[in-house]
Amino acid sequence: MPLSGVMRLGYVHARVTDLTDAKSHYGNTMGLYPVHEETGKVYYKGWDEHDHHSVVLEEGGVGLVKLGFKVADPGDIETIEAAARAFGCMSERMSVGENIEVSDGLRIVTPSEHVIEIYHGMTGVGTEVGTHNPDVFPRHLVGVGVPRIDHALITAADVKEMDRFFAEVLGFYATERVVTSLDEDAEYIGTWMTAGNTVHDIAVISGPNGKLHHFAFELLDWSEIKRAGQLFSMDDVSIDIGPTQHGITRGETIYFFDPSGNRNEVFAGGYTAYPDRPTVNWTVDQLGKGIFYIQRELNERFTTVLT
Amino acid sequence: MPVVTVQPGGQQVPIGDGETVLEGLFRAGYAYTVGCRRGGCGICKADLRRGSVSYRKTVASTVLTEAERADGTCLTCRAVPDGDVTIALRTGPLRRSNPFLAITSS
Repeated sequence: MPLSGVMRLGYVHARVTDLTDAKSHYGNTMGLYPVHEETGKVYYKGWDEHDHHSVVLEEGGVGLVKLGFKVADPGDIETIEAAARAFGCMSERMSVGENIEVSDGLRIVTPSEHVIEIYHGMTGVGTEVGTHNPDVFPRHLVGVGVPRIDHALITAADVKEMDRFFAEVLGFYATERVVTSLDEDAEYIGTWMTAGNTVHDIAVISGPNGKLHHFAFELLDWSEIKRAGQLFSMDDVSIDIGPTQHGITRGETIYFFDPSGNRNEVFAGGYTAYPDRPTVNWTVDQLGKGIFYIQRELNERFTTVLT
Repeated sequence: MPVVTVQPGGQQVPIGDGETVLEGLFRAGYAYTVGCRRGGCGICKADLRRGSVSYRKTVASTVLTEAERADGTCLTCRAVPDGDVTIALRTGPLRRSNPFLAITSS
């Protein structure tokens, strides 16, 4: 495991224009479990997540407020703080309770002006099947019934700088990149990076700083992706594209939009990543195949629709 | 039923009561360049040439600014016509996605 101790993307905190509509989507369609509500905010977890929450929705605007990454050990915070300082990023300590049920930690403003929070603890509420002779899924799942959050894709003016940031500050490694050439000094158009063995925890593509492209929920396989699509038709969820497969990550996917226009994804599959597996490079002329392996062309929305 | 006239092309499409411009045009078998269809991205903006529209759902001020509201920018996925309106698409004329529907309704 990387030295920094990041285990995974722990939470996505996003803005929505209407909390009632958002609750219908994330609760009834996606089947997340509401765990806490306060004025203007609602907190959710997936059924197979042990920690208190993985999605926070805040009424007012659209787009991303911040991403949370969980580290294994309180000592990791100090290591990352030193690395962020060495990198030249603005960071500040956060106290326990600044985010409900979340430990103390570190808040970093990335070179792309996104806010990320590093924390080592969150109140455990348990998965919906528990840890004692558990069933394999909860019987009364609602809608898609997503088990957990998977990854997020954000946009940045300087992708190469973000690749270096996630590597040097947080100990991530790149599984795949889109590059301007195969030369050593190529620029990056996109990078897919992980802290562990999933194919990505974070991805960054070229675009304006501070924007959200999408955040994704994990599903098991292709048939679950299809079933999610069927539910999206029943609930009139706005579809971007899919079901299809990515060349990059090999994941199976539907991109769709929440009722505020934030892009979501259901993502299944993807190969197991290891730090010693060579990074896959895609050239820009093959980007269509990389993103949508079956269609082999980008839709206009992929590069233009951001929140 | 309010009628929306769409430039360039001049198609006239009745829009259901309470329906958005986008919903009405797609229901009538037309298509044009849209993004999230949910008020988040601004890709489906058009210019309002005549008439007025209302926004029944909250629209983020980062997506449709005060200045844009004042200068007649219409976020078609959220705009509900108050009466007959004319809009000008910014990405070329309406396309027919369901030609059979367009024939039966004309």
